[in-house]
Amino acid sequence: MSVELISANHAAALSAILAARANRTARGFCAGVYPITPSTECMEYLCSQEIEKGNVIRADSEHNAMGICIGASAAGARSFTTTCSNGLAYMVENCVAAAGYRLPIVMSVANRTLGPPWNIWADHGDSLLLRDLGWLQLYSADNQEVFDTVLCAFKLAEDPRVLMPALCCMDGFILSHTMSQVDVPSQEQVDRFLPPVDIPQRLDKTAHTLGQMEAPHASVMHRIQHHQAMLGAEQLYAEIQDSFAEIFGRRPADPLVTYRAEDAETLIVSMGTLGVTAERVVDQLREQGQAVGAVRVRMFRPMPDTGLSKIFAGKQRIAVLDRDVSIGFGGVLWGEVRGFADPATIVQNYMVGVAGGDVRPEHMLNLLVDLQQRRESGAPQIVEVA
Amino acid sequence: MIKEPALNGMAYTEQDRRDPLLRPGNSNCGGCGMSNLMQMLRRATGERELKMVVPACCAAVTSGSFPESVFGIPTIMSTFASAASVATGVAAVAQLNAERTRVICLAGDGGTYDIGMGTLSAAAERNEDILYLCYDNEIYGNTGGQRSSATPAGAATTSTPRGKQEIKKDIIGIMAAHRIPYAASISLAHSDDTLRKLQFALDARGFRFLHVLSPCPTGWKSEPAMGIELVRLAVRSGLFPVFEVFDGERYVINVEPEFSNEALMMYLSLQRRFRNTGVTEEILRPSIERYWNYLRLMSGRIVPAKRN
Amino acid sequence: MIPIKSKPSTMIDSARSDLPGDISFPLEIRLHGRGGQGGVTCAKLIAAIYAQTGLNVQTFGDYGAERSGAPVRAFTRVDREPIKNRNKVYRPNHLLVLDAALLGPQVLDGVAAGAVILLNSAERAEKYAEQFAAYRFGVIDATGIARVHGIGTSAVVIINTTLVGAYAKLLGLPFEVLGEAYTKMGLADDLAAAKEAYQKVSIQRPASALSGAVVGGELPTSLPPIRPLTEHSEDIATSLKTGNWSTQLPGYEDFVAPCNYACPAGNDVVGFIQALKISGADAAAQLLLRTQALPSVCGRVCPAPCMRECNRHLMDGAVNIRSLERWISDHAETRLLAQKTDKVHSLAVVGGGPAGLSAAYQLALQGHKVTIFEKNTKLGGVLRYGIPIYRLPDEVLERDLERILALGILSQCDHPVDKTELERLHREYDAVIISKGFSDAMTLAAAGETLDGIEQGLDFLARSREGELKLSGDLVVIGGGNTAIDCARSALRSGASSVKLVYRRSRAEMPAIAEEIEDAIREGVQLLSLRQPVAFRGVGCVAGIVLAEVELGEADVDGRRRPLVTERTTEINCSRVLLALGQENELGLLPEAWQMRESRAWSAAEALNIWFAGDCSTADGTVAHAIGNGRLTALAALASLDGTDNGTFPLRPGSLVAPAQVRFSYFPILAPHQDRHKVLENYRNSFEEVNLGLSSQEEAERCFSCGRCTQCDTCLVYCPEGVISRSDSGYRIDEEYCKGCGICVAECPRRAIDLNDKGLSDVS
Repeated sequence: MSVELISANHAAALSAILAARANRTARGFCAGVYPITPSTECMEYLCSQEIEKGNVIRADSEHNAMGICIGASAAGARSFTTTCSNGLAYMVENCVAAAGYRLPIVMSVANRTLGPPWNIWADHGDSLLLRDLGWLQLYSADNQEVFDTVLCAFKLAEDPRVLMPALCCMDGFILSHTMSQVDVPSQEQVDRFLPPVDIPQRLDKTAHTLGQMEAPHASVMHRIQHHQAMLGAEQLYAEIQDSFAEIFGRRPADPLVTYRAEDAETLIVSMGTLGVTAERVVDQLREQGQAVGAVRVRMFRPMPDTGLSKIFAGKQRIAVLDRDVSIGFGGVLWGEVRGFADPATIVQNYMVGVAGGDVRPEHMLNLLVDLQQRRESGAPQIVEVA
Repeated sequence: MIKEPALNGMAYTEQDRRDPLLRPGNSNCGGCGMSNLMQMLRRATGERELKMVVPACCAAVTSGSFPESVFGIPTIMSTFASAASVATGVAAVAQLNAERTRVICLAGDGGTYDIGMGTLSAAAERNEDILYLCYDNEIYGNTGGQRSSATPAGAATTSTPRGKQEIKKDIIGIMAAHRIPYAASISLAHSDDTLRKLQFALDARGFRFLHVLSPCPTGWKSEPAMGIELVRLAVRSGLFPVFEVFDGERYVINVEPEFSNEALMMYLSLQRRFRNTGVTEEILRPSIERYWNYLRLMSGRIVPAKRN
Repeated sequence: MIPIKSKPSTMIDSARSDLPGDISFPLEIRLHGRGGQGGVTCAKLIAAIYAQTGLNVQTFGDYGAERSGAPVRAFTRVDREPIKNRNKVYRPNHLLVLDAALLGPQVLDGVAAGAVILLNSAERAEKYAEQFAAYRFGVIDATGIARVHGIGTSAVVIINTTLVGAYAKLLGLPFEVLGEAYTKMGLADDLAAAKEAYQKVSIQRPASALSGAVVGGELPTSLPPIRPLTEHSEDIATSLKTGNWSTQLPGYEDFVAPCNYACPAGNDVVGFIQALKISGADAAAQLLLRTQALPSVCGRVCPAPCMRECNRHLMDGAVNIRSLERWISDHAETRLLAQKTDKVHSLAVVGGGPAGLSAAYQLALQGHKVTIFEKNTKLGGVLRYGIPIYRLPDEVLERDLERILALGILSQCDHPVDKTELERLHREYDAVIISKGFSDAMTLAAAGETLDGIEQGLDFLARSREGELKLSGDLVVIGGGNTAIDCARSALRSGASSVKLVYRRSRAEMPAIAEEIEDAIREGVQLLSLRQPVAFRGVGCVAGIVLAEVELGEADVDGRRRPLVTERTTEINCSRVLLALGQENELGLLPEAWQMRESRAWSAAEALNIWFAGDCSTADGTVAHAIGNGRLTALAALASLDGTDNGTFPLRPGSLVAPAQVRFSYFPILAPHQDRHKVLENYRNSFEEVNLGLSSQEEAERCFSCGRCTQCDTCLVYCPEGVISRSDSGYRIDEEYCKGCGICVAECPRRAIDLNDKGLSDVS
């Protein structure tokens, strides 16, 4: 174990490389990568390292970067890539395929606004494109979490009861390009945590076909199986946390990170680094005597519905902060979680920090003032943040 | 003197692959050229180990319904534009594990000439260890027969009902320009040549590209039985040059056409896709001659280009 | 988009006048067909017809991923009300089955008693009477009709437009309702086929007015388990039986090569050439000697009609079959042994020429006792006395004769047979075969024909064969057959200072062997064609001939153009004339009470065991014909004695391999191997054999082997499905999977395989 001062992009790459080397006794590691701001640094770091029984292939597009990952994973290797924004949009078709084959590919996304008009700053709209495609989705709030999440994502995705791709999201620039200390475990520790991957459906010796035509009934059954495996992943994540804690001596963050939420009357719900800002706001408001708490949705897929229902139970007011806009509807997170609240609870959606605005505690305090004045839930609001 | 039996009688002997690559019970149309290719590939493969990547194309549909194995080898159906990239991943892992397996792509002209062109070019540029087989029926067959950039001028398709105006892309020229170790065109009507090229390409290292003119009775509106004969006519008339390019530099012409108008006329008249589009032998002849002049120049083979 | 006459409305009873009264609404129609048959268009056509009457319609296909030949469905729904039903049709009122092979529980699911069924089948409607007792049903061979009308390709016949014709009739609609819909959908060309189906459909009504509960069409109660993708790593066999997609099936069979068909001797030409190619002269001889008593002779003097008919003739020249036969006879050591038979007959053969020798040979081969009666001192007939020695050397003839006699045949030479002797033979032998050949040479009936110096060519040839003849001066031969050429070349060799050949038609029409004509001209014979001798001039001895010019008129019955003698004449000088105008037949052998009929002697209504063979019976005039007829007559005589069938089979129509059925592109162009010739400075006084035959047997490689599988593996290699495999006898086709594309047939270089309509199919 050593402590490194690195960016979150770097942390994701380092985590992936440790995972890559951990599969050296099995079928190795192969990644297809392609640069895009702000994920480039992760890709560059991968390209700078020698990986025993590993090959990082410099693809010609995000679409083909994922194509290479699919081929590698289908051949039984561990696989990883990174992209964001339009790169992810360009990759989507093969992301559909990766999930469709049930291949445990892990991808790091430094969330960035989709364009044109071009904008390179943080927004969750890119990773949320994959919302319905059968990918696990985990959002991190600091560099250590990014590092841990990538390792946990491999472990979760590759579990024989799960077997599906996983997305590890970090806010572009806010995390991706921010240096900070990260505890980096030894290869030996990672080897213990992450055993070699076994992909049962991989192309081996027997003649069988991945991704062939299916009748409606077979497709429905495969959807059901995928859905159930995804739902089960939440429970498995707890096991992974235990194993992680045992080996690395620290526990990775929960699917739902709550902060002073238990006795709170008002909750702030968010994803990514907004959640950490929310915690600061909670502290400030608690000092003023307000019973405010925060919930950070770290695991977006599968959606921890039971956990959220429990946390939301009995709350008077909930502010759902979205760093995304589903145009013509409102915040994606809000749309997903509002149903878990009691009918009497006022659930108000604020889309804040959209397209990379720097959300300061003051922004949130203002929103809380608005929330506390409400007698009922109102229409989702897009908040102007410069 | 003719050599009988064909392929020295190796079909279905111990030299042939025991299990077919494309099994009976596939849903290809009767008389499909891709099926012919797969039978020849089986012969060429022998005891070699293969893994296959198939993008969206007729071969993706012929694989039948889950979970049946229509292909006699481990196969993955990739997205339309991704055959060469998925194969890159499969080949890279094979290499990491020092496996003898050969990785092949089986793609149609749409997935090769059009949507997959960037992917193909990138894999060729990286010189991935892949054998890329393009079975070219000059049409988007799966979707009912629309034009691709492989559709020849003068052919009617559902998206060019009055006949396509533009000439077919020079795919071997494009691939040769990548300076890949091996690029060749294959005539299904010349089984010895086909077998030799497939075997050579299976064993060569790096990126290999084979272009196969693949008769499509459904799209070409021709008699299923005439498929091989159509290829023969395309070769005889000079319309489909059979040649190979080593390292992007050394051109070898394998079959010398007779350049007869009779063969060209037969080729056109046996396919209803050329009917009512106004295409004639005279219209096609100059572009055939131009291309052959280029081929002669590249191959350094000076023989009369024209004989009527 | 289907254009329709009028917009549908909900209240249009008046527009329904041309619909039969027993149609109730909503009307649901389901079609079961195969990809490529046009099922979806068929459903659209039916919808268009109903739409014309102002009814609301809806039509759609059940799209799957499978291709040409795979089972597909299409639906049409018709109602007076706007149609809200967006489901497939589970309980059809009308069921159209485009391929009888599809009939099964799934197709008939949900079809209630009293429903209407239309079936495309080549079977008779009665075959389905029991199965379809509860339905009004029609049966039509739409595939057959559409194929004749050329709709679609021969492998994938499009039957939709044909079937709709039958549907209209089944419903009692006037045929005219189809015209508009077909025209608007651009299918007017197919109306003729629809009309034929309208007229031909066979309609059966239910035994009684049945209406019953619907059977089937319910939701399935359970669905099969589906393995998760993450556990999918097994090799699972395919279950799609593509064999029932096709309407045609290839089959291997022997077809008749034109050479075999043309061979007067009945030789298996393809067989012996292929045997020569593969196994050598002895193996070829084993086959050849079964039909051919005189291979050394025929290999030299046969006019070889086989070569005229050879399919290779159209590409780069006929296979040199005659010389291959010669090669075999000159190089084979083998000979056939006489078979043992329990019932030995004793037969007499009158005449030791080619027909007699062939008959005797065949009889002896089968183990019978044969005696030949020959009027001359030696056997051979025309072979010994009518063919010059430089074409047929004595030792060659002797070789064939020795082989024949080695079978134990007795010969009595210098033994002419007259009427009395024939009666004796008839009494003493089980059967007599008369093969005495031609008797009289034809004459010209021109003035001066009796002058000295004019003689029959055959007499000249016989004398020439017997000993050295010395000629001088200018000689003219009249005629265009082989005898004429033989005379001319023999005369040249005997010292004539010039030899002219006068023939009344053009050179192309000369019946003589083309190579012989060429040889004659090379040796110095002058050919005067299109000339007819009209008078001989001279005092006592011939000194010249008056020749009239000839023009060619209309084609005669034999296909040759009729010579028209003109008034324009010229005269040539000569001191000798040989007539080679052909021969006539005069039997003059049978006793008064006997007649010859059907190549057999009869005493009144009683058929006698006396048979006629060769020229005396057929007047065909070639050695090969004589050999063939001798053989067949011997077999017929034996069959008659044993009371069995003579075992000859007539040619089945269409079984001859036509040039279009040979894939010329398979065969590289290769000029025929020509006979070698001894070139002499001067042919005078030399009767050496000049044609030396072939220098190797390589010519056998040129044989296409028409109609006979050579196991070249072409079908095996080009079968797209890989469903052809080797079997003990050649190849086997897996009918369970063959899609009937026909590539094996198209690619077969030689028509050893053919595509047959599956036609009648089983109903299960």
